[in-house]
Amino acid sequence: MSDQEQPSATPAASGSSPEVQRQRAIQLAQALRHELQKAVIGQREVIDDVLTALIAGGHVLVEGVPGLGKTLLVRALARCFGGEFSRIQFTPDLMPSDVTGHAVYDLASEQFKLRKGPVFTHLLLADEINRAPAKTQAALLEVMQERQVTLEGRALPVPQPFMVLATQNPIEQEGTYPLPEAELDRFMLKLRMDYPDAGEELEMVRQVTRSARADMLEVTPLRTLLQAKDVLALQKIASDLPFDEQVLDYAVRLGRATRNWPGLSLGAGPRASLALVRGARARALLRGGEFVIPDDVKGCALAVLRHRVRLSPELEIEGLSVDQVLLQLLEQVPAPRL
Amino acid sequence: MRLTDASVAIRPRSAWEALDLGVLLARRHAGLLMASWALISLPVLALLTALLWEYPSWAMFVFWLLKPAFERLPLYILSRALFGDTPTLGQALRAFPRLLKPQLIASLTWRRLSPTRSFDLPVLQLEGLSGAARNQRLVVLGQRDTGAASWLTIVGVHLEMALWLGLVTALYMVLPQQMSIDLDWQKLISPDAGNWLWLDHLSNLLYALALIVWEPVYVACGFSLYLNRRTALEAWDIELVFRRIRQRLGGVAYALLVGLGLLLVQPMERSWAQDTPAAICPLPEADPLGPDADRLQQQTLTSKASRAAIGQLLDAPPFENRQTVTRWRFGDDPQKDVDRGDVESLGQLLRGLFHLAEFWKSIDGIALFFEVLLWAALFGLIGLLLWRYREWLTLFATGREKRQRVARERPAVLFGLQVTPESLPDDIAGSVERLWDEQPREALGLLYRALLSRLLGEFRLPLKSAHTEGEVLQLVEELYQDDLSAYASRLTRHWQNLAYGHRPPPLSSRDELCQGWRQLFGHGVPR
Repeated sequence: MSDQEQPSATPAASGSSPEVQRQRAIQLAQALRHELQKAVIGQREVIDDVLTALIAGGHVLVEGVPGLGKTLLVRALARCFGGEFSRIQFTPDLMPSDVTGHAVYDLASEQFKLRKGPVFTHLLLADEINRAPAKTQAALLEVMQERQVTLEGRALPVPQPFMVLATQNPIEQEGTYPLPEAELDRFMLKLRMDYPDAGEELEMVRQVTRSARADMLEVTPLRTLLQAKDVLALQKIASDLPFDEQVLDYAVRLGRATRNWPGLSLGAGPRASLALVRGARARALLRGGEFVIPDDVKGCALAVLRHRVRLSPELEIEGLSVDQVLLQLLEQVPAPRL
Repeated sequence: MRLTDASVAIRPRSAWEALDLGVLLARRHAGLLMASWALISLPVLALLTALLWEYPSWAMFVFWLLKPAFERLPLYILSRALFGDTPTLGQALRAFPRLLKPQLIASLTWRRLSPTRSFDLPVLQLEGLSGAARNQRLVVLGQRDTGAASWLTIVGVHLEMALWLGLVTALYMVLPQQMSIDLDWQKLISPDAGNWLWLDHLSNLLYALALIVWEPVYVACGFSLYLNRRTALEAWDIELVFRRIRQRLGGVAYALLVGLGLLLVQPMERSWAQDTPAAICPLPEADPLGPDADRLQQQTLTSKASRAAIGQLLDAPPFENRQTVTRWRFGDDPQKDVDRGDVESLGQLLRGLFHLAEFWKSIDGIALFFEVLLWAALFGLIGLLLWRYREWLTLFATGREKRQRVARERPAVLFGLQVTPESLPDDIAGSVERLWDEQPREALGLLYRALLSRLLGEFRLPLKSAHTEGEVLQLVEELYQDDLSAYASRLTRHWQNLAYGHRPPPLSSRDELCQGWRQLFGHGVPR
């Protein structure tokens, strides 16, 4: 981006016409993407998807083998984002109250005081989320859906925007607890991080070995590009993007197709269609478009659907993956015309 | 044969001890036995290999069959060596053809599988018996120790296999890894290729090598079992003791005998003298009826009466227990049928079979009916399965290529649009220009439809209804035609703006698009 020097001019602050606001929002989103790409080399699609979730106001589950930069990506996003950021390292002995907070007795005032947990933040990194048992994972259910935490009978809202970025490692089975369906459904996107290609890896190794801490990429040189209210403004602008009936129909058809698709024993719920629409809007904004086209829906369909469906046992035995079956589905659901 | 010359201690042993003695014997003469075995068996194997190069397993089989013939040489050597007359290698080999002659065919054929082969061999070879005499002898010898002989053979089979497998494994283990991998691959790729025959022959050779070690032991054990049996039967050990006594007392014995003879002369003469008078106890008269004759006829109880009384007593309990059993049975006793004669029953059987055949012929129709029914059921089941899983089959069983080919067969209706050339006007650009002002959406739609039609028809793009506009553009770019790509992206942008953004295209774009169309495709309809 050539015009990344003035993105800090917040789109919400200027009271100009929606057209100008949208242009600024697009610039801001692209500047953010550019900044993230400086920190995380390669993985362009994953960066785009994370930004999609940020703009769409959804939560993200990032899955990948160790060492692909899952945590780095989230830390870079937190760095570019001026709001609060907290991180929970999920361990087998983590308790729900460690996540949400709890009441402690204050000797000085002789009464109980609420101590808020790390969820009261804007960006929450739930690192290795599948290492905690189900009861701790369930502590996130309420806050992810309703954006509030009930402590000692009081419902406390978390600050807006609120986004959970969870990471998990797909290859380890020992000592991990797979996320329950209800929890998975609350994540808007599930991203797969794959190995970088040769050129990107070369570049990454070059950069890492150049830096002072010779084992990881630095996120300190990144600039803070947006504040909490900017994110809210981005979300508002994205949700105002025009959405044609045909495209809406396409999104809903995609979601519904998973329910009676041979090869899928469990289809996606209505949250999937909602997530598809929100994701498509965010992608349209990221793309710089002024309205949503079917490509936006199709582009985020895989990330939206892959954790909401379950492969039938026959295909699992045959060794097919969810992604392969979903790609077949996307190949067969007709795109909208006229 | 002189037992005193035997190089082993002759005494009755248990069968297992005898086998142990055999092992000891084989070990003492191991060099000679193994060398002679190798000298006769290996050339035969070589000859067989040369003759049956193409059939290594047949060569192996013939070699295995010939084992009893080879076994005669170790037995010859052992039998000579037992009495201290160990032949040299040359002598043994020269004697071999003479040893082969007697009963060779029988040894190699019907007696080949006898489990007591090594135990029986001495009877044939050393005693020279054949036919009924041999069988009689074997029955006598085989009253004991045949179990041990059979076990010897069974253990021998397993030992041979173990040695052979061990050798093969050892050979495999010393192969370099690269070579063994290569070997596996070649075996996998062309298992029938002829260049693996040498491997089979190599394994044959390994078997022959294993035999060199085991066979002398086997023969020796059989021989020692035989010796042990004869020792027991003919009391060789006692004979040996007597011989030893005779040797020790050789001179003294004659003197003693003479003295004893002189002493015994007098009484003997006297007894002869006493023998001459009438016999003290005369032989009883020959009685024609023996004990059954009537006797004691003057007594009140004659022998006849007493015999009758005894018979009566013996006929009653407790000596004889009679009881009457009454039971039901079928009127036709099967015993009677047999009595009627074999010929008749055979005829009946044949007649029955004939009737049975006729009966089968009569139920042929029913059988046919059931056959048809079963086949119909099978086909019906297959059809039902196909119908049940039709979605699966269309999705996953049909090949990818086939599906693509089907897709390439120019569908008439794609994406819900009529895309056949016939459904489009001849002059696309002209129609678009006419429509543009009143119905811009229809005009752009027509242009986009025409583009898709051209892409399908002329450029053979595998378009599917699931492709979005963006994906169609990507496919167009893969054609590497810059003009077409630029035009397609321009048109798609306008189309998307109109269709999804609800923004009418600017008026200037009409001429631009129509001009571009004419430049790219000319006026006419696609072929």
